[in-house]
Amino acid sequence: MSESENPDITADDAPADTAVELDEPAELDADANDTDEDDNEDTSGGLLVREGDIAADYLERLLDIVDYDGDIDLDVENDRAVVAIVGSDLLALVGADGSTLEALQELTRLAVQQKTGNRSRLMLDISNFRAQRRTDLQDLAASTAASVLADKEPARLAPMNPFERKVVHDAIGAIAGVRSESEGEEPNRRVLVLLDD
Amino acid sequence: MLEEVLEHLVRGIVDNPDDVQVEYVDNRRGQRLEVRVHPDDLGRVIGRNGRTAKALRTVISGVGGSGVRVDVIDVDRVGSDHGDRGDRGPRR
Repeated sequence: MSESENPDITADDAPADTAVELDEPAELDADANDTDEDDNEDTSGGLLVREGDIAADYLERLLDIVDYDGDIDLDVENDRAVVAIVGSDLLALVGADGSTLEALQELTRLAVQQKTGNRSRLMLDISNFRAQRRTDLQDLAASTAASVLADKEPARLAPMNPFERKVVHDAIGAIAGVRSESEGEEPNRRVLVLLDD
Repeated sequence: MLEEVLEHLVRGIVDNPDDVQVEYVDNRRGQRLEVRVHPDDLGRVIGRNGRTAKALRTVISGVGGSGVRVDVIDVDRVGSDHGDRGDRGPRR
């Protein structure tokens, strides 16, 4: 940024002299910018990118050890680091109902927290399991909302993990005439869909 | 392979990765992986309500270790003859 400004200002000056004079202010500017950016990075996108990098190292080594082929994609969505492992034969890492995936996400968050000192909300997906589950849950939310509106009776969904409940709450929140709550204790916490009065 | 997986998973979440030891034991009581960590890291590996230990067990089962127990060994207690057990409080 400052690099593009300075040459403009001094464009008419003799190049030999200005080059020397420019060096210092340019460097000072660069330093000032660096610290500003670092501050921003620690509070926003940069930290999330770093979370992704740490998670990728942790998971890549795991794939190496178990000798599974997988590519790791990193992204930042809705203020979270998103780490996706994509590969053809990764079902073992997903587990029944995604239980192994949840466990791996938990450990990966701890590994990130260990390095950054901050609690991580990182989201791990493997072989699009979460993406598929999200679509299924959105469909479930829509059909449940329709029956609640038709029957004028609340509906209670099966117990779900926090990720699944959030998907349902978000989907119900976008539908007029219904609202949702959670009830019960983990691991039996479930979503209740009600008429919105 | 399972030892290596467990060692890697644990090393990444503790303050003292070089103190992590994993041993595979197979005897008449069955197969198990014994994890030893620095005493300060014990809470990390067990987690609130045993959550982290449970996550470690789940992943180990997932990658081929179903039926293999994962035991977190409290190095401070096992084989220590100090009479200071009373002030540690109950184990989780």
